[in-house]
Amino acid sequence: MIVAEQKSLEEIGRMIDAYGRVLILGCGTCVTVCGAGGEREVSLLHSALRVAEARGGNGAHAFSEYTLKRQCDPEFLDALQDRVEDVDAILSLGCGIGVQAVAERFPNLRVLPGVNTSFMGMAKEWGIWDERCAACGDCRLDETGGICPITRCTKGILNGPCAGPKNGKCEANKDMDCGWILIYQRLGNLQLLENMRRYYPPRDFRAPKRIVGKAEVYAGGDNEQLSI
Amino acid sequence: MYSSVVDNIRKHRNGQMKKSSPDRSFLPPCQAACPLQMDIREYVDLTAQGRIMEALQVIRDGNPFPSICAHVCTHPCEDACRRGQVDKPVAIRALKRFAVEFGGDRMIQSEAETTREERVAIVGSGPAGLASAYYLRKLGYPVTIFEAHSEVGGMLRVGIPLYRLPRDILDTEVQRLTQMGVEIRTNTRVVSLDLLFDMGYKAVFVTIGAHQGLRMGIEGEESPGVIDGATFLREVNLGLKPSLGESIAVVGGGNVAIDAARTALRLGVPQVKILYRRSRAEMPADETEVEQALEEGVDILFLVAPTRIKRKNGRLVVTCVRMELGEPDARGRRQPVPIEGSEFDSKFDTLIAAIGQAPDMPGGFGVQTGRGSTVEVDPVTLTTNRMGVFAGGDAVTGPATVVQALAAGRLAASRIDDYLQHRYPLADREARESLEGDLLPETVEMIRKIGRLEPATLSPEARTKGFKPIELVYSWEAAVDEARRCLRCGVGAEILFQDKCASCLTCLRVCPYHVPYVDAGGTVQIPVDQCQACGVCVGECPARAIVLRKPYDRRHIAEELDHVLKSAAQSKTSPLIVGFCCQYGLFGTGALAGLWRGAKAGIWIVPVLCTAKVEPEHMLRAFEMGAEGVFIAGCGEQCARENTDFWVRQRIEKVRKMLSQIGIDPERLQTFVSNGGDGGDPATQLDKFADRIGTLYLASIIMQEVRS
Repeated sequence: MIVAEQKSLEEIGRMIDAYGRVLILGCGTCVTVCGAGGEREVSLLHSALRVAEARGGNGAHAFSEYTLKRQCDPEFLDALQDRVEDVDAILSLGCGIGVQAVAERFPNLRVLPGVNTSFMGMAKEWGIWDERCAACGDCRLDETGGICPITRCTKGILNGPCAGPKNGKCEANKDMDCGWILIYQRLGNLQLLENMRRYYPPRDFRAPKRIVGKAEVYAGGDNEQLSI
Repeated sequence: MYSSVVDNIRKHRNGQMKKSSPDRSFLPPCQAACPLQMDIREYVDLTAQGRIMEALQVIRDGNPFPSICAHVCTHPCEDACRRGQVDKPVAIRALKRFAVEFGGDRMIQSEAETTREERVAIVGSGPAGLASAYYLRKLGYPVTIFEAHSEVGGMLRVGIPLYRLPRDILDTEVQRLTQMGVEIRTNTRVVSLDLLFDMGYKAVFVTIGAHQGLRMGIEGEESPGVIDGATFLREVNLGLKPSLGESIAVVGGGNVAIDAARTALRLGVPQVKILYRRSRAEMPADETEVEQALEEGVDILFLVAPTRIKRKNGRLVVTCVRMELGEPDARGRRQPVPIEGSEFDSKFDTLIAAIGQAPDMPGGFGVQTGRGSTVEVDPVTLTTNRMGVFAGGDAVTGPATVVQALAAGRLAASRIDDYLQHRYPLADREARESLEGDLLPETVEMIRKIGRLEPATLSPEARTKGFKPIELVYSWEAAVDEARRCLRCGVGAEILFQDKCASCLTCLRVCPYHVPYVDAGGTVQIPVDQCQACGVCVGECPARAIVLRKPYDRRHIAEELDHVLKSAAQSKTSPLIVGFCCQYGLFGTGALAGLWRGAKAGIWIVPVLCTAKVEPEHMLRAFEMGAEGVFIAGCGEQCARENTDFWVRQRIEKVRKMLSQIGIDPERLQTFVSNGGDGGDPATQLDKFADRIGTLYLASIIMQEVRS
């Protein structure tokens, strides 16, 4: 799941300053789950902006609010058609993908990001999310027993652990478990400790995988052969 | 598909919300168990909020004679109460008594207009007869009650002892019926129903009760000194003083046996024994009554039955046999079996046989009777074999409870109405689903245990001196605290908008009772039979997919806040301070008086039903509408729910962060505990807060002046 964090009200205020009529647009999936841009956050932000407006006394803005089921698919965006007609800007509380999808759908409208998209992760406990995947495009979880060294190791090293961990904690972040020690323990449980002996060559960061247009999964193609 | 808060507020104003939000609450077990189907959960909740007049209104809607029930009801509701699975059931009857007395039930006048021509005769003035008269009058029929005894009330008058039902209560109710235009003819024994039809009555309701004591069927039963329980109670209740001697025995284990024994004690009999052939566990009498009888000094001999009575030298020699419990019968009660050779003799002056009663049906009625000479009726329409003749109450069921008789009377009234208006009788169907299932052990573990507060009673010594009512009324605080124990079964939260639910599991993580779960299909469920209606998940759900099941609970805070803000705007007091205060706590802890005493002008209180239901939007809305300060006063440790204080603090922190970002001093939002807590007297705290807000307000005005 994509995790995001709402931007500060100051920053949001600066962004919307130039636009009179602003639609605050929520998204009903990932950002709802992580409490950054669901219907409740939309209405809270709306309330807060109105309080600011009432206090400021200038009344320069008119806000409306709406929450879509999902912002990242054009079919869901059709519902917006009637709502954007008298709007100067959309403040999207969706993730970066949502903001772009909305911008693409309404080319003549200013679409502003209301949240900072942080990472892909999972809930650790109520209100706390942990990063679990960096979308590196070169998954090696099979070799590391299902624990990702890129996100769970502060340094993201492929042949760990480094010399830093103390009592299982990372030297760079004492609150964080050392990912590589977790990998070692897990591989031990699975009787796969020989995996630790292997040398993993550095990943090819030069490969421009990020510009991938589409994965040819539907064409029956091999994931390795990505069209660039 | 998705509506915003602002939309909702607009809808509240236009009254659209009411139509579009149906009551999705479940029928609670207490209500399902009540023969009158009274809305118990509602009036207990109103009592907890200190809204006694409204509680009484709810009670009166469901019960023609609430003050009678408040004294003598056998409260099947309390047996069904699910609080009993946690600690002890809510004292519902005592709460009703409180509502009736403090709400001023005596003062309520009843009126009825005659809109129909068909006259209805009611034979018997017991609870069933009185109830049917009440409802038939409300429907506009001219009603006449025929009563064989000199006084009205049936078993309420001649059966129930004075100490359980003070007679002025009954008199008030009868008075009210007379006011409504019910004609009552006492000392009039009806011997033939034909005569009634000849007199012009179009329908007859037979509620002659069950006054005939059953015979024990043993040798010597006819001896002088042997009397049946119903006759004994009737004589005492009609003002006679039978001479009983020094030592008496009561045979039987039902409520009549207990009543007879306790009445005998009050007549000054020093030694009263009860002979019961089973053990205490099988005793049909009310548990509390048995307990009180024992306290007063009644001696109960269990597993003992009389077999022979002989009169000797003016005393009774009763031969008894000891019993043991054998196999359970068809009803599951273990049958007593005599132990051979265990006979023994005891001497008594009087023996009262209270082993049951049957109706004493005059032959001229011509109605079909069945088992135990009870009238045979259709259970849905209450019709007998004779056209236009309906029957109900003990005459149909055999000796039963007051509340059952009242329910029969109410049913008879609507069925007689159907009959007279030539309508097909339609059974009343409850539209709501009833709440089934017990609380899970996991849920029970998380529910705060709060002991049941019994109303005070007179000491056993004081009780047996006379026929004074033994139970006293709750004090205001005790009643509110007791009412707050209600678990409010069936009104909890539900995921109303499954299409909105993002399956984020917030509800599952924030629920203090661990109620929500993910089912096998991956859908989040909030089982209604476990939900404690605390409202935490409703306020936390990021998709706003969860709502409370009752429309009023959904609208409540928004409506109250709107109302307060409007009134405040009109009064133009400044600085304006808005406080969300828990209505339960305000009354339960007596903090309301303190708060108001300490409150200065400009403090407006929004009553909320638990501060865990106050959402950040509500706080922000108050600021938006010009509030200089907002505070939330919850019950802290006194809250009957779990973790509410924690969630209030969480939300306040969230809002404070937002406030500071938009340049409002976060100190303007405060929380305190309405019973003081560790911060001292709430009034003083509020005073300090108001002073601080006043200073801030002044400063901001000066700043504005300086700027301009």
